[in-house]
Amino acid sequence: MRDDPTAGALVARARDHDKDAWDAIVERYAPMVWSICTRAGLGRADVDDVAQTVWLTLVESLGDLRDPAALPTWLAKTAWRECRRALARANADTGPAAGLDTESDAGSDARPDTGSPVDRALRNAALVEGFRQLAPDARRLLSLLMRRPPVPLETIGATLGMPVEAIASARERCLDELRRSPAVAVLIRTGPEDGGGRDGNAVVER
Amino acid sequence: MGGMETPWWNDDDLLLAALREAEEEARAVPAEFVRAGKAIFTWRSVDAELAALTYDSAADEDLASSLRGAETAPLRALIFATPELTVELQVEAEALVGQLYPPRGGVAETLLATGEEITAPIDEDGNFVFRPVPAGDFRVCCRPHSGPVVMTGWVRL
Repeated sequence: MRDDPTAGALVARARDHDKDAWDAIVERYAPMVWSICTRAGLGRADVDDVAQTVWLTLVESLGDLRDPAALPTWLAKTAWRECRRALARANADTGPAAGLDTESDAGSDARPDTGSPVDRALRNAALVEGFRQLAPDARRLLSLLMRRPPVPLETIGATLGMPVEAIASARERCLDELRRSPAVAVLIRTGPEDGGGRDGNAVVER
Repeated sequence: MGGMETPWWNDDDLLLAALREAEEEARAVPAEFVRAGKAIFTWRSVDAELAALTYDSAADEDLASSLRGAETAPLRALIFATPELTVELQVEAEALVGQLYPPRGGVAETLLATGEEITAPIDEDGNFVFRPVPAGDFRVCCRPHSGPVVMTGWVRL
């Protein structure tokens, strides 16, 4: 199995001034921060601003994270809160503008859907993490099946040296493995509404 | 709506579509966005006492408006304090001017969120100057010849 430490382990190492662990945290969760900011409708300068605040807040909170395993939830909620602040600042300067509904709280809505930017970003981060934990063969098959435009099954079979009839059951098996991967399993078990069953705001002790 | 819909993880097609979206999202992140996030860790390794903001002219409306007319007045004045030391910062048009109280010599650093560091000497009267004013968010770290290292909070101009 590939070396893929949990978020909690990465936080513990980053606390001990391990720069590699920090880089791994940023690599893993930057897409989440990025997508929350862009879905909030921020321009590029504001996105960079928000991300900077989010990472700085995390650096300064590393020692206080009570539940490091809840890092993704904490990051997503912090990013969302900072997006709302950035939009409020923009609105104060220019009057209300199109974009995010700053009244709604995307993080704590009990909607069963995964429509909120926070939930969606958490889901995507978990899926990417789960995917990277799969065996190389499973990753190759799913990558080919995900291509756009679709790759013909004959080509997939030829590429992987596998009979075309076997692809459907292999696909089923690989997706089951993805469901069972720790990152995705946690998400399924706790439901998407709160992205991990913990309140991100309660993670930091003050 | 939606409560009775098949959740994305229960259906192979939905799960594969969700995975595709997630992978595309991960690939859409600009490399320099990730690089900027990594650079921020530099500050973690600085073992300093954090000085709390005790005064900010930006929060002082009367002073802020009276300063606007004056030519030589600072654009922004901030004071950070620990129990032992006070760091006063004045943002002027051309420079960031600092003063350490009680006065002592040493080295001051401005740390930019981009990871850049700029160093300036603190003279024996506790004065230091950074020219020009740091571009972007910064914090100041003072390393006196004696006594603890002090770090201000972030300053956003």
